[in-house]
Amino acid sequence: MARYGMVMNVHACLGCRACMAACSQWNQTPFWAEDFKGKWRTRVTEIEEGKFPEVKRYFFPTICMHCENPPCASVCPTEATYINKDGIVLIDYDLCLGCGYCIEACPYDARYEYELEDLKKDEFYFGEDARHHQAHVDKCTFCVDRLEEGLEPSCAATCVGHARIFGDLDDPNSEVAKLVNTGKAKPLGPYMGTKPKVYYIK
Amino acid sequence: MDLVQQQIWGWNIATYLFFGGLGGATLALGILAELRFNLNKWFGILVSLLGLAILSFGLIWLVIDLINPLRFLLAFWIAGLGHSWIARGMVVIMGSYIFGILYAIAAYYGSTTFKKWMGYIAMFCGFGVTTYTGLLLNANVAIPFWHTPALPLLFTVSALSTGCALLMLILAAMKSHEAEHYFHFVEGFDILLISLELLIIFAYLDFARLGNAAVMKSAHLLLNNPLFTIGFLVLGLITPLILEAFASVKHSAKGLAGVASVLVLIGGFLLRYLITWAGVFQYPHGIAS
Repeated sequence: MARYGMVMNVHACLGCRACMAACSQWNQTPFWAEDFKGKWRTRVTEIEEGKFPEVKRYFFPTICMHCENPPCASVCPTEATYINKDGIVLIDYDLCLGCGYCIEACPYDARYEYELEDLKKDEFYFGEDARHHQAHVDKCTFCVDRLEEGLEPSCAATCVGHARIFGDLDDPNSEVAKLVNTGKAKPLGPYMGTKPKVYYIK
Repeated sequence: MDLVQQQIWGWNIATYLFFGGLGGATLALGILAELRFNLNKWFGILVSLLGLAILSFGLIWLVIDLINPLRFLLAFWIAGLGHSWIARGMVVIMGSYIFGILYAIAAYYGSTTFKKWMGYIAMFCGFGVTTYTGLLLNANVAIPFWHTPALPLLFTVSALSTGCALLMLILAAMKSHEAEHYFHFVEGFDILLISLELLIIFAYLDFARLGNAAVMKSAHLLLNNPLFTIGFLVLGLITPLILEAFASVKHSAKGLAGVASVLVLIGGFLLRYLITWAGVFQYPHGIAS
């Protein structure tokens, strides 16, 4: 049993979006959406702050926060959303009613609808290897299938600038635990009581 | 900009919220009429079945809104009963159907004790449907305008008021002494409900005026939308209050109360739609997708 978490080092993010590409290929998320429609398990957003000549520009990676007290799970009528033994918030697609209640409840905008037309595209692009077989709500899984094989989540594995640091928060020797325990990395919106397991160095 | 108006729930959900609340309230008020106000058994049976028919009509819109409507049977898998308001809502909806129909059967066969028990449980379930529609939205922590105890109160009072409006329309067409008596009870009850609704709306908007950025944006959206200010506040709330107050003094003014009822029903629908429409997310990462 572990308590997986991630630290996002915003200073180290180059904005190359290789993480988005790697995630969408591995997890077959709707990269085909024409206007992208926000259908990503992870996103990197370009942010510009200030006024000329005092302007700051940086890239901000976002993902499911894998909360310890997830509002998405608390509103789910069928318990399709659950927390596994390693603290990862997952969705059982067979139980997902598709009501969208969890999308409304998530305060981090981490969920989206995997619609019927996305299923067709998934089959078109991936053929027999298509991994989505019914309409459902989708979100980051920390690539739970890769973890079982001893691999890192695809976004962290592909990150060029080591901006995404993944590990076990309960292992005091892990890089994530050190960054979190020293207070260098902080969660987003802790006042909401969601207890996120993704932390940020800003 | 981290304030984003929600787009997931729109007309379909608002339509369900309205007809769900109206159906639950009609069921409860119809049974009350027969059990406590001596209206005949056919009134109790037909109005309670009308309530269930309205609820069913609302549920169609809920199913249409699913990502894949064909998977609606999963809604009966209420494993999340301990924490989810959709699962709890399913229980009160099912309770309304089961006990509502049992009440109607018992009333038809004249089984007094059984009818009374089934009737009171069905009334409780119908009332539960009116309340849960507000709690459903209230559970969204990500939308601060919804995440306030004022919302379930507002929806409950409004749903009961729309139920009263529908009952008044039905009762206005009836001639009996009992119908007349119940009409005046419902009319008085509706005046109280609309007054309460005005008080809650006032407190709600005052809370929003002093609230956080997302709440203020929601209130700003509402107050700058004529559908809310003129459509709901003036025509759907204040006008029917005045009309009903006037009609209650002049005992023969059933037509006036009828007009007020139609306005209350339109106002109730507008309220559901506008509150849903004005939901604004405030993302802590400051990013609007």
